[in-house]
Amino acid sequence: MHNTKPILMRAFTALAIVATTAAALTGCSAPTTKAVAVASHDSFIIPDNLINQFKAETGFYLAGGAKLGDAGTLTNKLVLTKKVPVADVVFGIDNTFAGVATANGIIDGELVPIDYADVCFNYDKQWFATKGITPPSSWRQLTEPQYKGLTVLENPATSSTGLAFLFSTIAALGEDGWPGWWANLKANGVKVAAGWEDAYYIDFSGSSGHGAYPIVLSYSSSPADEIGDDGLSRTASINSECFRQIEYAGVLKNAKNPEGARAFIKFMQSKDFQSALPEANYVYPIVKGIKLPEAWARFAKPADSFVDVSKLDFDANRKAWQKKWADIMAG
Amino acid sequence: MPTARLGRRSGPTLWRANSLILKRALQWAIPLFVIGVLFYWPMARVLGQGLVGDWLATLAEPRVAAAIWFTLWQSLVSTVLCLLVALPAAYVLYRKRTPGAHVFKAMLTIPFALPTMVTAIGFTAYQNQGIWKSEFASQSWLNSPTSWIIMAHIFVNFAVITRTVGSTWMSHSHDTEEAAALAGAGRLRIFWSISLPQLRPAIVSSVFTVFLYCSASYGLVLVLGGGQVNSIETEIAAAANQFLDLQEAGALAILQTILTIGAFAIGNSGSRSIIGFDVQDAGKPKHGIDRRDWPVAALTLISVILTFVPLVLILRRAFVDSAGNATFENFVALTTHGTRNLLDISIGQAALNSLRNVLVATVVAGFVGTLAAYLLTRPTRSKVQRYASRILDTVFMLPLGVSSIVLGFGYLLTFGDGWLPLRSSWVVVPLIQSLLAMPLVIRIVQPALHAIGAEIGEQASTDGANALVTFFRIELPLAKQSVAAAFGYAAIVSIGEFGAANLLSYGDQATLPTVLYQLISRPGGQNYGMAMAMAAIVIALTFAVVFVSSFPNLNRKLRRPRLSARR
Repeated sequence: MHNTKPILMRAFTALAIVATTAAALTGCSAPTTKAVAVASHDSFIIPDNLINQFKAETGFYLAGGAKLGDAGTLTNKLVLTKKVPVADVVFGIDNTFAGVATANGIIDGELVPIDYADVCFNYDKQWFATKGITPPSSWRQLTEPQYKGLTVLENPATSSTGLAFLFSTIAALGEDGWPGWWANLKANGVKVAAGWEDAYYIDFSGSSGHGAYPIVLSYSSSPADEIGDDGLSRTASINSECFRQIEYAGVLKNAKNPEGARAFIKFMQSKDFQSALPEANYVYPIVKGIKLPEAWARFAKPADSFVDVSKLDFDANRKAWQKKWADIMAG
Repeated sequence: MPTARLGRRSGPTLWRANSLILKRALQWAIPLFVIGVLFYWPMARVLGQGLVGDWLATLAEPRVAAAIWFTLWQSLVSTVLCLLVALPAAYVLYRKRTPGAHVFKAMLTIPFALPTMVTAIGFTAYQNQGIWKSEFASQSWLNSPTSWIIMAHIFVNFAVITRTVGSTWMSHSHDTEEAAALAGAGRLRIFWSISLPQLRPAIVSSVFTVFLYCSASYGLVLVLGGGQVNSIETEIAAAANQFLDLQEAGALAILQTILTIGAFAIGNSGSRSIIGFDVQDAGKPKHGIDRRDWPVAALTLISVILTFVPLVLILRRAFVDSAGNATFENFVALTTHGTRNLLDISIGQAALNSLRNVLVATVVAGFVGTLAAYLLTRPTRSKVQRYASRILDTVFMLPLGVSSIVLGFGYLLTFGDGWLPLRSSWVVVPLIQSLLAMPLVIRIVQPALHAIGAEIGEQASTDGANALVTFFRIELPLAKQSVAAAFGYAAIVSIGEFGAANLLSYGDQATLPTVLYQLISRPGGQNYGMAMAMAAIVIALTFAVVFVSSFPNLNRKLRRPRLSARR
């Protein structure tokens, strides 16, 4: 008994010292830094050789990166933390959310386009061949009875892919038409997944996940990743009335290392980085004249036609449309 | 007596009384400052944010109303079902002399101590069992996200009711029941007319606590609901992160706080002791299990076995790949950043972040909580002081009734910049966790200090010892076990906390639960296996800790004085 008292006190003192030191450590940071922190959406990949190349060419190195969800969550989190940003540079804000970034003043300078991708539906060729059903040729057919219970798509509140498609339906069907079409789609047994990974890798039957749904909202480039031993893709993209998603990078306002951030954006526009984009991230390079991988010419052609979304005011209506959509799907 | 003395206004005595009050006020300054800045300030910001605009109209939107309705009925159903399975277990394990009861009791605390995200992962493993994928089961209501959420809530809260009710039941005398039995009353009748009324306070208190936990549950709803069902908690996070609608987030946070504080107030009114905190066996003779107890004994056994299914499934899945072949790959992969470099940091680094957070949160909650408990147990010498003491008690208990998402949202609003830009620092997460744990610390330490009584301190002070010496030399050693338990509870709160961490930790500040969530929400490739492997490690550690701390004999053999001081 007598023995434990000082030990207890010593324990308390030790813990107090630890706490104080820990608190003190948080206050300081290096005055000048070569580290560049990239905030991006969850699906962004930079191949290791390019990470090394960036360091060798510029003297800056990537560290402390933060993956912050889909393009929408990424943008919103950067708005919520804009006074003291969580990174120096952002990649992955797309044209459905660019307005939020500019309106909230989170970007120092301009948003710079880096790549694009076309949001289209894909289907599992083998599934349709086996069942003897003709695959759809337009997303407008997905409310038809022969496609009942076959489609999985992403929630426009949690996935920018889903949001891009919601915008497409609003532009194509009009302010009065889209709610009814979506109600029909719901009645036709559509499955809503939270994000692209869930929809594509878990629910879609044509991917490695062997899910239960043979139609998925994905990209025109996705079939290039599903090439079987016979050299053919197991999936195909419905390339009409798609949505062209453009992804941007930008220097974050109040960044600790704006110079490094600018260097990284410049690097992203370089030939080497742009050439690596298709295979690493399944997107098309924005810089003209970059050669695409061979399989892409056959299986990952860009979309044939797009819905004209130029008349939609995304920023004024995004939230209202997302909420209206959620109300339709909840009801 | 002291009151009368104060009233007489004799010079030196009044001075001494006043200086004591001044000293008390100064001592109170530390805990009041901590809780004021770190809890009441952000909560005031939430209130302000929620009340701008037409907040009632916000709550009436179909999607929001659906989330509110889901939260209410899901919590109600979870709580009632939990009570129904926990009562037989309380009877068998606490009221009766059951072989192996000690082991079963320890086992049942494991789900309560496990981080929520591990539980969520266990239930996804349950969901992914072949039988649920059959044509029949996949259509069945049993396989809906809601059913899984309710089952997970029963799993987590089972021990809360079993322990609280069981501990009370254990202490009741057998006399009335024996007399009733002699008079020919059956077991059910005895339970209904004798045991139940006696147990009512314990049942009410634990039931409302469970309701509070179910309505404030975030991680389980997020993972098991899969975006198809939403609660108030998930809608608060969605309003902020997905819609950038701070007004809606604020309005929902106010509603959630009214709901949880209401449940907390009712749950707290019945019992002052800490919920789910096991009391020592009183050593009274108990009756053995007889034939008429077999149905309830069987029910209890089934509950205990069902409790272990998700844990066993995690352990099994951790050692196989996606094709079902035995492998250690999942554990090897823990050093990586996941398939397609999903994670910003490796799981090892996340574990280190978690350990650091646990340390800071435990120290802050432990120190400030113990100080508050100490001050709350000082003798009150006047009506005003008693009144002040009661208010202060409430002031420090209130964080128990606030969810980590609500508090996290408040931090997002409050500490983004200004004179205290905490948000950008890693300390923000452990600080929130310490606030959530502080009331628990107070609840555990307060009764212990109270039991020691002020007389000892007064005696010591007349012998010339000052308050500090008295506390460290006398009160603290006597309350040692409770203080250690309080630190332990604070550590459990911190290590498992998910909501605030998910809202406020970015990039390389990820914690174990947030990394597990990232893996389980992107389950492609090896990510699912990695989540299982990490969950398996956490389960193994929890088992070890629970068993070592549940068996006093084993414990006494193992521990040395150094360990016992900081257990």
